[in-house]
This record gives sequence, C-alpha cells and structure tokens, in this order.
Amino acid sequence: MSTFQIVNPGNVAGATQRGGGSAGLPVALYTSTGDTLVEASRKASKQISRIPYYSHTNLVVIGEELAKEGIQQIFDAVERNPQFRPAANIIIARKQTAKQLSSVLTPIDKIPANQIIKTLQFTKGLLGENVDTRIREIIENFSLDGKEVVISSFRIAGDWQKGAEQDNVRTIEPSARLRAAELAVFKNGKLVGWMKNEEARGVLWVLNKVKQTNVNIDWGESKEGLSYKVMRAQAKVKAKLKDGNPIISVVIKTEGDISETFISMDFTDPKQIIELEKKIQQEIKKEVRKAVHAAQKKKSDIFGFGEVVHRTYPEEWKEMKKTWHNKYFPEAELHVKVDSFIRRTGLRTRSYIQ
Amino acid sequence: MERACISARQLFMLAILFEHGSAMVIPLGVDAKQDVWLAILCGMVLGGGLLFIYYRLFTYYPRLPLTSYSQRIVGSFFGKVLGLIYVLYFLYIAARVLRDFGELLLTFAYPETPLFILNTVMMLTVMYAVYKGIEVIARASQLFFFSLYWILILGFVLIIIAGAVDLRRLQPILEEGWEPIFHVVFTQTLYVPFGEMIVFTMIFPYLQKQEKVMKAGFLALFLSGINLAIIMAMNIAVLGADTVSRSTFPLLNTIQEIRVANFLERLDVLFMIALIVGGFFKVGVFFYAGVIGAADLFQIKEYQRLVYPLGISVLLLSIAIASNFAEHIKEGLQIVTIYMHIPLQIVIPFLLLLVAVLRQQKTDKENKGR
Repeated sequence: MSTFQIVNPGNVAGATQRGGGSAGLPVALYTSTGDTLVEASRKASKQISRIPYYSHTNLVVIGEELAKEGIQQIFDAVERNPQFRPAANIIIARKQTAKQLSSVLTPIDKIPANQIIKTLQFTKGLLGENVDTRIREIIENFSLDGKEVVISSFRIAGDWQKGAEQDNVRTIEPSARLRAAELAVFKNGKLVGWMKNEEARGVLWVLNKVKQTNVNIDWGESKEGLSYKVMRAQAKVKAKLKDGNPIISVVIKTEGDISETFISMDFTDPKQIIELEKKIQQEIKKEVRKAVHAAQKKKSDIFGFGEVVHRTYPEEWKEMKKTWHNKYFPEAELHVKVDSFIRRTGLRTRSYIQ
Repeated sequence: MERACISARQLFMLAILFEHGSAMVIPLGVDAKQDVWLAILCGMVLGGGLLFIYYRLFTYYPRLPLTSYSQRIVGSFFGKVLGLIYVLYFLYIAARVLRDFGELLLTFAYPETPLFILNTVMMLTVMYAVYKGIEVIARASQLFFFSLYWILILGFVLIIIAGAVDLRRLQPILEEGWEPIFHVVFTQTLYVPFGEMIVFTMIFPYLQKQEKVMKAGFLALFLSGINLAIIMAMNIAVLGADTVSRSTFPLLNTIQEIRVANFLERLDVLFMIALIVGGFFKVGVFFYAGVIGAADLFQIKEYQRLVYPLGISVLLLSIAIASNFAEHIKEGLQIVTIYMHIPLQIVIPFLLLLVAVLRQQKTDKENKGR
C-alpha cells in the first residue's frame, strides 16, 4: 500500500473550542503518516494527549494531488467505523495540500472546518455553483455504474503562510481567506477536471440542486442588464433509447422574481414578462448545455444520466453499462427544456433608470 | 404448561414485537437488492400459509402446546422425540438471537465490552421475565408495543422531513425478474421472521378467547410483514441498494441520515431502543417456549425450576456457537435454514397436520359406524 498523505486527524483532533478566556488557538493541527488511514490515526496518538473521537467529524479535506491519484480507497475505514458519520461533508483542497487548507484560521467561525461547511451550505443555497457532497453520496456513486462523483473545492485566497498565525484573525481583512472554488469532476475515483461559474451552475441545474441563484440576461443594448432571482427550481431527467443510442431530455422549471435592472421597461406588461422569460430560458439552457458538453468532453457522467437509463431500460443497460462513460455518454443526444416564470417584480414596477 | 391466560390483544402485540425483533435491524433478504420489499411481502404471504398450518393444528388441540399434541398425533415415543427436537430448536434459536443481539450491540455501541458481558446482562433480564411467566411477558409487550411504534413512526416522519428519501433508488423494479426474489423468499424471508411463528404454537393455548387466535395471529403477521417491507424499502430509498447489501445494520445507517434543522440529528439511540426491545422479546419468546416445552416433556410441575439451568445453557451456547460474526451469519443463512427451518417450520408441522386430519376422519367414521 502506498503512503497516504493523511487528511483527517488534523481537522478533528485539535478542534477544541476557545473557552474560559484563554488566549489559545481554537484548533491545532497534527499530521501523521501511515500505510492506512487507521494506522495514521493510531499513530497520531504519539502526539495527541486525547483519544481521537470521530463522531463529530464533519469535514474531510482531500488534497488535489491525492484526488488525482484516486480517492476510492479512502472511505472504507470511514464507512466501517461506527463512530464516523457518513453524513460528513467532503471537499477538495484546490492548488494546495489538505494540510495547508486546514491550517488557515478563520475570523467568524472559530473552527475553520465549520467555516468551510457553512460557507459551502450558504453558497450552495444562494448561488448554486457548489455542492455540499457528503461521504455517503460518494460511496454510493462508486457503486453505481451510471453516475460519477462531483465534489466542491476550496482554496486559500491570499497568502497561505500567514493563515496559520493568530494575526490572521486580528485584522479586518485576513491575509489568508478560505473560499469555495471550482467543482472537481471525478472519473473512476480520479480527479479529471474542474468546472466553474456557469458551467458549475449548469451541473447543479441538472442535478436538481439549485435552490436560489440569480441569472443575468442581456436586453437590447444593455449587456447583463437584468437580473432574475430564482427562488425555486426543479429539474427532471428522462432518457430514451433510439437505435440503441441514448437521448437524454432535461426539463427544468424555475420560479422567481426580478431583482435588479438597468433597463427602462414596464414590468406591468405581461407581454414583456413573457419576452423576458424566454430570454431567461435561453440563458439557463445555455448553461446546462455548456455543463453537459464539458462533462462529455471529460467522459464522466456526473449527472447520473446513466442511472436514468438504468432505471428506464434495465435490460439494455446490462450491455451499456460497461462502456457508458466512454462510448454512450459522450455521444448522447441532449434535449433541454426550460420553463422559467417571473412571478413578481419586487417593490417597484418600473425602474427609476431611464 | 403454567396456569396463565393472555388476551388476544396481548398475543397480537407480543407477536408484532417478536416479528419485528431482530428482523428489523439486520439486513433481511438484501440479496434481492432494491426489490427486497417484494421479497419480504412474498415471504409474508407464504408465511401466512405456514401460520395457517399451525393454526389448524391448534384448532384440533386448543388446550395443548406443540410438545403435547405431537404425542397425541404420532404416539407417545415419536411425539416425545419430536417434542425434544422442538425444545432444542427453540433454545438454539434463542441462543442465536441472543448472539445476534450481542454482536450488534458490540459492533456499534460497545466496542470495548466483552460479548459475554452483554449477553449475560440480556439473558438475566430474559430469565427474570420468563421466571415470572407468560402473563408478565405479555403485559410487558403491551407497554413496549407503543414505544416501538412511536419510535418507528417518529423515525419515519423525521427521515422524510430530512429529505433523505429518494424513491428512485427503488428503481428499476424487478431488474433481474422474479427469480432472485423467490430465491431470497425460499432461502431467507419465509423462515425469518415469518416461519418463526412456529414458536407461538407453544403460546396459543394460553389465549383466553381461543377463537381469536386466528385474527390476532394473522393480523400481527401481516402488519409486521408490511412494516418490515416499509422499513427495508426505506433503507434502500435512503442508502441505495449497494450500501444496504453491504451494511451489517442498514437501519442504523438510515437513522444516521436524519438531520433536521441542524439539531435533530445523531438519533442512534432510537435504533438502540428498537434493537434492545426487539431482541428482548425475540429471545424471551423462544426461551419461554423452550422452557415450557421442556417442563411439559419431562412433566415438571414448576417450570420455573428449569429457567436458571436452561438460561445458563443458552447463554453459554450463544457464545459457543460461532467463533466470529461471519461464521455466525453463515450458519444462520445456510445450515440452520436447511437443517432446521425447513424441516421444523414446514415439513413436520405439515405432516403432523396431515396425520391429525386423517385421524379425525377415522374417528368420525367410527363414530358414524356406531
């Protein structure tokens, strides 16, 4: 077995709350190595004066390098150990090692792991470009032939070397900050590429994981002149086989308001609203197509289209599953249909901008 | 037999707890993958057929337990041999369930406790209950019936609120056709837990209103079958077929998925309660049947005198039957099914019923001839 660069103990073992007014740091990092995760955890006892207790582990950080090598072997210990929660979140450390990412002190949440989890949760809910993948989902995806894993990444903005010092949380703008970055796309448990911005949101649209977000559209001369706030979104994926080739249709429904505009338009006119809805639909369609094409290029079905085919055509799937990611998925025909509704326009009808 | 009587309601609740017992927590019939709920329902329907055999036997001898009427049916000697086999079977299954229970607790809650300690504590409780008699066990079942149901309903509601259920995981239905389902039915789900109702042939005679056996028994069987099917379907809808088929206790993993509003989480204790309540009644009923059967067979007036020696035997047996969990499960699925469940749950009761019917016809003819 190879030596794993260990991801976990540092996150967990030192996570003591700052209490009683002592000036100590809220967390401490320990690193230990071993041929297996369990060995590394046991070896950590040489440095830590407590028993490592994994029930409260809520974040696992994997370094980019390990992700490229493959993450498939990491999770057995996690799944087997009754202490460990498979509902824990998982992220990839982008451009840094997991240790570097875990050694940044954060200002609002004292425990950096919590900062990451909460950031992830809120950005997922408000913007929809990141997913809060849980360990259990990953393990499940490993068992499915027709779905690949996608995990959010985090990176350090600023100077990471200063992040480990307490001064980092004493300034108004910390010199090292943690921020959510691209989506990591996996294939057979190996990191094969990244997706960001609209592409990343396209993935979430299909996965039915977008809760709220905003979509900007061009109107007339004004580029990105109107902002549509999605309040609810729902996606359905269906599959058909035509001459043995899959045709995937994605239907997305969104509901929302107009949240900002730079154009002078009378929103009391239903006809205009319908025009706007059409524009929005095209915009979302574009994002979805972009995301699917990007994934098709990487030959990794992160959307689970294969599982849809599996559910609809269990007989045919038995043959298709072996070559799904390399043969069928990159060639799959895609139909996207978006139904967007603008329900309200906020507290004003027209804008003051003329 | 002791002097005691229980109501139909108590019998119903006892049977429900018994059926849920360990079946609820173990990966029951998971070889059927996402169709396991179908396998359980099929097992239930066929189990209903078995229960009907036991019920018919009971109607011929409504005042006697299995160990007594076997003597009436096939004669004193063979009847006694059969009775002894059944007593040993009940005690052995009690030991098996006790082992199950200890292994489960050890794996996830008490990793540093020796198995023997856990089993001892459980067995002492069971021995005490059996010492007190069937009425006490039945009354306890009334109490725990509601707590178990509350837990099940609470868990069910919470898991739905938590949004962990994805019914698409149950698809495709019948991916491999009916064959694997029937394979699972005839190797697993029919016998555990439905065929195990055979043990109630020792308890039916205590029923106050004997005509209600049918209703209480079948209602309990069908209700538990449906409940178990829902539980397993839920496990799969939350975890996916692959995880369920690989886990030692799928229900525990399902409960761990409950995360509501950032504070309703880590509800493993619900699983613990269900496991302990279910384990207690399952071991209790089997052990009681074994003790009563032995007392009946060897004509011991006070069956209580057998509780401690047999209890300690069951306890030691539960430790001795297997050296590890894998061996224990393997024995349970293969050896016990072929050499114990099939003959003792199906073949012998069926033959007994056949002989009983023939005898009845013969006496009818003789009566007419007179």
